[in-house]
Amino acid sequence: MNFDFIYTLELFPILLKYLGVTMQMALLGFVFALIIALCVAVIRVFSVPVLNQVSIVFISFFRGTPLLVQLFLLYYGLPQLMPWLVGMDAFTAAVIGLSLHFSAYMAESIRAAILGVDRSQMEASLSIGMTKLQAMRRIILPQAARVASPSLMNYFIDMIKSTSLAFTLGVAEIMSKAQMEASSSFKFFESFVAVAIVYWLVVVIFTQLQHRLEIHLNRAYIK
Amino acid sequence: MTTRFSRALAITLAALSFITAPAFAQDTIKVGMSGRYFPFTFVQKDVLQGFEVDVWNEIGKRADLNVEFKTANFSGLFGMLEAGHIDTISNQITITDERLAKYNFAQAYVVDGAQIVVKKGRTDIQGIDDLKGKKVAVNLGSNFEQLLRKADPNKEINIITYDAGFEQDVVLGRTDAFVMDRVSSAQLIKKSGLPLELAGEPFETIKNAMPFIKSDENKALIARVNAALTSMQEDGSLSQISQKWFNADITK
Repeated sequence: MNFDFIYTLELFPILLKYLGVTMQMALLGFVFALIIALCVAVIRVFSVPVLNQVSIVFISFFRGTPLLVQLFLLYYGLPQLMPWLVGMDAFTAAVIGLSLHFSAYMAESIRAAILGVDRSQMEASLSIGMTKLQAMRRIILPQAARVASPSLMNYFIDMIKSTSLAFTLGVAEIMSKAQMEASSSFKFFESFVAVAIVYWLVVVIFTQLQHRLEIHLNRAYIK
Repeated sequence: MTTRFSRALAITLAALSFITAPAFAQDTIKVGMSGRYFPFTFVQKDVLQGFEVDVWNEIGKRADLNVEFKTANFSGLFGMLEAGHIDTISNQITITDERLAKYNFAQAYVVDGAQIVVKKGRTDIQGIDDLKGKKVAVNLGSNFEQLLRKADPNKEINIITYDAGFEQDVVLGRTDAFVMDRVSSAQLIKKSGLPLELAGEPFETIKNAMPFIKSDENKALIARVNAALTSMQEDGSLSQISQKWFNADITK
């Protein structure tokens, strides 16, 4: 087996050109997932009637079915039921699919973090006249964020890599480019080594950012 | 006042016609392909090219259609067609009875055969009868799986479906053979330099064409595409495109 280093190197500029698409999908997906997850987690913690039951079914479905199946349903299935959805492009479908899928996991991890904050914190907030939502926003969530951040970062990393499924919908992201270049040059090993390095570097960079974020969130706990 | 009004009206109309005129001049057709089927449709140095791309650029010129290429995994293409994200698929789609029941095809533009390919030097596989008990790779979603199953009523062939990379597995010896169309098999071996060879004669003649969803609008579209294809067959430009990519005429 002779490994073509030059070919691998030449692939990087092409992959980097499409890294933007991958990162846009991951970042947009993560922001929306975080918003949904936060709402679902708070609903679950307060056991809001009706919404709580809806949230349980939501989490059950999106955790219980593979992401690829969800993407297929969203992009190929739904437009057959609702023709106006045909206009939705593959990128949008991928972002929606990633958001919904990961928000189900993240909601549980945020809920765990909220439950991990001592009950007396809520009681103290209520005793000085805050409403439950105010207490949640001002007292509980800032503490929960610190606890939840490592596991949320886990999901973000997973999401970056899951964007590679979007090629099945036709999104031109880095995995699709690596696969297409490999299919025409037959240098599979070289192409996948290149794309693996790109994913890994991106994850390393975000791990560094998370480290800084943790220091920031921990500042109140360091004497 | 009236002159000002009529001037404003004229400007508005001019602007409107400017916006809408290009839409009337040329219809857009969205053509789906995998971008991973050398040399029909492939990407090299980030440029989509190949036989299908050339054929469609020529159809676009003759039928006055603006051709927009969309690449997606082969297994996703029919879903995109069903959902209306693309108008047709140009990826050497073989006309089959099952597909005819569901889609309207444009006229055939490629005639080919299903070919068994093995690792170079292997002599035990010479035809479809030799595949019994062997592992045979086919592309996921392609019709070679059905062709093989039809020729194998007792289910003695171990058919394995791949999304990509089966040629590598045949070279590595993980699978005994793969089945793909003759033309691209020959081209793959030539281009890749992989130690593979064609085993025996093709076992089934197949005709390839572009499928469209059955609808009245598409009937008119298919007629336009067919007219372009006919004129390309008559003046030899379709054969020329074939010669360019295969050094052979696969369109007859």
